[in-house]
Amino acid sequence: MNDTELKSRVKDLIVRRLKLDVDPQTIEDGAPLFGEGLGLDSIDALELVLGIEQEFGVKVADEEVGVKAFSSVDSLADFIREKSAA
Amino acid sequence: MPGDLPHQYPFRFVDTVLEERDAGFTRGRVSMTVTAGQRACSGPDWGMTFLLAEAIAQSALLLEGGDPGIGRSGFLAGIDAFSVDRSPSPGERLTVDVALIARFGPIVKFRGEISGEPGAVARGEIVVRQGEERA
Repeated sequence: MNDTELKSRVKDLIVRRLKLDVDPQTIEDGAPLFGEGLGLDSIDALELVLGIEQEFGVKVADEEVGVKAFSSVDSLADFIREKSAA
Repeated sequence: MPGDLPHQYPFRFVDTVLEERDAGFTRGRVSMTVTAGQRACSGPDWGMTFLLAEAIAQSALLLEGGDPGIGRSGFLAGIDAFSVDRSPSPGERLTVDVALIARFGPIVKFRGEISGEPGAVARGEIVVRQGEERA
């Protein structure tokens, strides 16, 4: 899976899992997911943890790792790629 | 302002603050709307769903244990895929089975099922936020 496909799957996952009313392709790769970006909160983060584990088989070890990985689509894709390769 | 609440759809009820509280907090007023999603989530007995979800949340936090000051404090912050089969009868003894699904910092998701003598009462997933409530 190339970089573009992975990011597209990540965006689809975010929208589907969190039931967001946005077009996945309008989410910018580098935009923050939490706070001022998509406006996600800590409960959404938990859903993302579950979604990533189910869809990509990647576990998020703890909150500290998750906060860093979930900062944007770019960072989340990097995290998934890194963990999948390990 | 409703966005300041830690609760999530379909458990976030407040739409808007109509009147801020006065100095002595003798009165304040908000508006809320029962959405189609909340109706679908709750079944025919709308209020019962949330009482049963709260029962699962309290059971989960109690069983979570740990530090009594941390592990057993918290509040129901979300409901997901929750269904109610029937309303329990007055005096009916119920059993609550709870399992942890996932944890992310203070946010924890549990799966719960409530059953009684005539059979299943409700089942679903709830999200709790452990620790002190936000001011």
